[in-house]
Amino acid sequence: MTMAEPKDLAARLLPPEVLEPRQSRLAQRIEQCRAEGRPALVGYLPAGYPTLPESIEAAVALGNNGADIIEIGIPYSDPVMDGAVIQHATTTALANGFRVAQVFEVIEAISTRTNAVPVVMSYWNPIMQRGVDRFARELAAAGGAGIITPDLIPDEADEWFKASLAHGLDRIFLVAPSSTRERMDLTVKASSGFVYAVSIMGVTGARDAVSNAASSVVERARAAGARNICVGLGVSTRQHVEEIGAYADGVIVGTALVRALGEGGPAAVGALTAQLAGRK
Amino acid sequence: MTQPSAAGSDRATGTVLDEIIAGVREDLEARKTLLPLEEVKAAAKAAEPPRDAVAALRGPHADSLEVIAEVKRSSPSKGALAPITDPALLASAYERGGAAVISVLTEARRFNGSLADLDAVRTAVDIPVLRKDFTVDEYQIWEARAHGADLVLLIVAALDDATLAGFLDLTRSLGMEALVETHTTEEIERARRVGARIVGVNTRNLKTLEVDPDLFGRLAEHLPEDAVLVAESGVTDAEHVELYAGHGADAVLTGEALVRAGDPLGTVATFRTVGASARAARRAASQGDGVSGRLSEAPGPYYGDFGGRWMPESLIAALDQVEETFEKAKADEDFLEEFRRLSRDYANRPSLLTEAERFSREIGCRVLLKREDLNHTGSHKINNVLGQALLAKRMGKNRLIAETGAGQHGVATATAAALMGMECVVYMGAEDTERQALNVARMQLLGASVVAVENGSRTLKDAINEALRDWVASVDTTHYLLGTAAGPHPFPAMVRWFHQQIGDEARAQTLSRLGRLPDAVSACVGGGSNAIGIFHGFLDDPDVELWGFEAGGDGIDTPRHAATISLGRPGVLHGAKTFLMQDEDGQTIESHSISAGLDYPAVGPEHAYLSAIGRARYEAVTDTEAMDAFRLLCRTEGIIPAIESSHALAGAVKLGQRWVGELGPDAAADKVVVVSLSGRGDKDVATAAKWFGLVPEEHDEIDEESR
Repeated sequence: MTMAEPKDLAARLLPPEVLEPRQSRLAQRIEQCRAEGRPALVGYLPAGYPTLPESIEAAVALGNNGADIIEIGIPYSDPVMDGAVIQHATTTALANGFRVAQVFEVIEAISTRTNAVPVVMSYWNPIMQRGVDRFARELAAAGGAGIITPDLIPDEADEWFKASLAHGLDRIFLVAPSSTRERMDLTVKASSGFVYAVSIMGVTGARDAVSNAASSVVERARAAGARNICVGLGVSTRQHVEEIGAYADGVIVGTALVRALGEGGPAAVGALTAQLAGRK
Repeated sequence: MTQPSAAGSDRATGTVLDEIIAGVREDLEARKTLLPLEEVKAAAKAAEPPRDAVAALRGPHADSLEVIAEVKRSSPSKGALAPITDPALLASAYERGGAAVISVLTEARRFNGSLADLDAVRTAVDIPVLRKDFTVDEYQIWEARAHGADLVLLIVAALDDATLAGFLDLTRSLGMEALVETHTTEEIERARRVGARIVGVNTRNLKTLEVDPDLFGRLAEHLPEDAVLVAESGVTDAEHVELYAGHGADAVLTGEALVRAGDPLGTVATFRTVGASARAARRAASQGDGVSGRLSEAPGPYYGDFGGRWMPESLIAALDQVEETFEKAKADEDFLEEFRRLSRDYANRPSLLTEAERFSREIGCRVLLKREDLNHTGSHKINNVLGQALLAKRMGKNRLIAETGAGQHGVATATAAALMGMECVVYMGAEDTERQALNVARMQLLGASVVAVENGSRTLKDAINEALRDWVASVDTTHYLLGTAAGPHPFPAMVRWFHQQIGDEARAQTLSRLGRLPDAVSACVGGGSNAIGIFHGFLDDPDVELWGFEAGGDGIDTPRHAATISLGRPGVLHGAKTFLMQDEDGQTIESHSISAGLDYPAVGPEHAYLSAIGRARYEAVTDTEAMDAFRLLCRTEGIIPAIESSHALAGAVKLGQRWVGELGPDAAADKVVVVSLSGRGDKDVATAAKWFGLVPEEHDEIDEESR
């Protein structure tokens, strides 16, 4: 038996098709923002919170007040990456009877009633249980552009690689301050559309200051070859957007929007979005 | 070359076959006189349609080893065997044990068989039946079909090519298939030329009647790859099955071993388990992945389709660090010595193996208790905690966080933190802090902070979620001391490693006490750490049945239970792919059990795998069954068990009932089950007092006090 050439993680784990460049609505939108000299504004809201119709109206308000990309979260029973505000929102949505298939209604509304590019953000088990290929097909049909996968790493993503390629969806994996160089390389290569850079070691939640770990994660992702990098976790104000926008390609706001929705409904989401986008 | 004829054409073989066949022919002529061929043909056409024997022998999985279980009254080589009074009953037991095909010897003179035996078996089972006889005439093939057979035997040595081909054609035209039996490379070649789909290798030498178990291996490379391969003769124990399966046998044909063992059902199951392991090892070896075929050496991260790392990227570097530290420590004599010293001088290992004589008499089989309840802190949990706390020190992490259900793991972690001068925070579902108030106080006395988790179902799974949220923000200074053999790699492999001393000790203690291994091992399964620890010692002993008992709560026909393997579906939770209790959308369903320690909607991935390959079996035990066993142990042995461990005791009660039913009380009394008594019941006194009505409902003082 001959010794195999030692291969790095990316070469061992990624199918070759994943490495091929592809048409991506997400990448195009971020390019367009870059051309306009600003970071893309990415907003997160959970589907079904507080009710399905209100979550649709809130997402539309988000899209029509300056969000370039909208992440719609699938409420899940065990959200280990989420802080208190989002946990409360997703628990409420589940208590109000949210079903996974309803996420496509929200995606479709964004896709038809706004100019924002919609993606899904979900823990993996709900997608696995629906069937990865089936979920991808349904998401593409509803106008979704990809999935952000907070608890799926490329090492476990074989099925998702196949389904995303088959249905033309973007794979948005996360990189973190703790990611090693080898894992940064793997994750950047496995991703398409953009790479989600976690700004801090922690769970979701608004913070007063954005960790200075963020710029270092972005720098390392860039060194690994990432073209489009959006930064999330802890971003809540226009000032954060400007700070991060100086070095990242997009800025992700979640908890602050969810709190606004809980306190002031879809109108408050629209107002906060306009503020974050620098429109007022 | 002789032309095929209805009468067939015998080849003189110069062996015992010639004489047998002469007798077969005489009997055949007598039957033909009584019942002309035309009538047999009519009966064959009226018979119920034949079953697919090829599919049955291939089995459900590439690694499956199937058993052709034989009903045989006597044989020329051994004379009369165990008397078979009821072939139908025996065949039913074979079928229940998992046999793929039943073989019925119908030869009368040497084997004392008959077509009446075939009829009796056909009526009793739903699986394919082989009419095993010395086929020398087409009449016998029609006869086989008329009596409902799905398979016939064609012995290559006894037939010339044309007859063999003609018989095979006729067999298939009647919808049946033939087991084409060979002894040599030349016969194998002839079987291949006629297109045999099921090729048997009879390892008995026709001249000497000696069995040569190595023959199958020597002939293996000549056997047609696309045929079903059957090893015949000399299948007397599990070692032979392992040998044949390791050389690629898809099935074994065996009779004497099953009848003689007195436990046909258990023996068939054992043979299938051993065979599947050997076939899996062979497949792994041929794929060159260098993985050992021994189940006890499974390294993770995957156990079959289960396990892995379904975790946020933020935690992957920490998991890599734990894995690397653990792998180095296992090979470091200083670490091993420190772990052994603490286990011995601090935790009180090895734990005793106690024979429960009065309990045994009550339940009908012999019970040995592995006394993890006597460890320091009162349960097996201390094993894992000492090991991981030592690893945390090696990683320079001075803060331990843990989840706990019943409180046993939290107490153990708080204990290790106190011993080693570390900070400790324990996350506990708010419902559990109420059920287990005494343990909360114990943790606080030991200097730990206890955080009552109010999210979700307020039980163990939510405590794990909260501990993970802590860890992702504190990973530089903190080790997450996960308490069960679940979660992302390396936790399942690492937690098992720290607990495998339970099984290693139990195996050695049983051998020295009884001079033999137990018949079964019983353990409770929530996440499954004590179970995987005790199973580990016996995983590669195929004769030892491994039983995991899950929390059946109010009953698995109700929504209130925690029977994850029995009723769950594969999914991912807390970092591993495994069986989960979940709804259609993949939302975790809240589990329920009187035992806080088993109240978890997932299970360690290695258990999922052991269940999938059939090496261990998992059943649910209801709250009522567990509490009955709890009381029985208290009253017969003076030991108050943890309610978790009472599920394993209730499992032993079920095993006792099964053995008494199948083997009768005398044989059952000799059957030995080792029960993992994973913890002591002091913490459960309030719950038990309430269950048995020892405290007045309206003045529920113990419960009041615990709030």
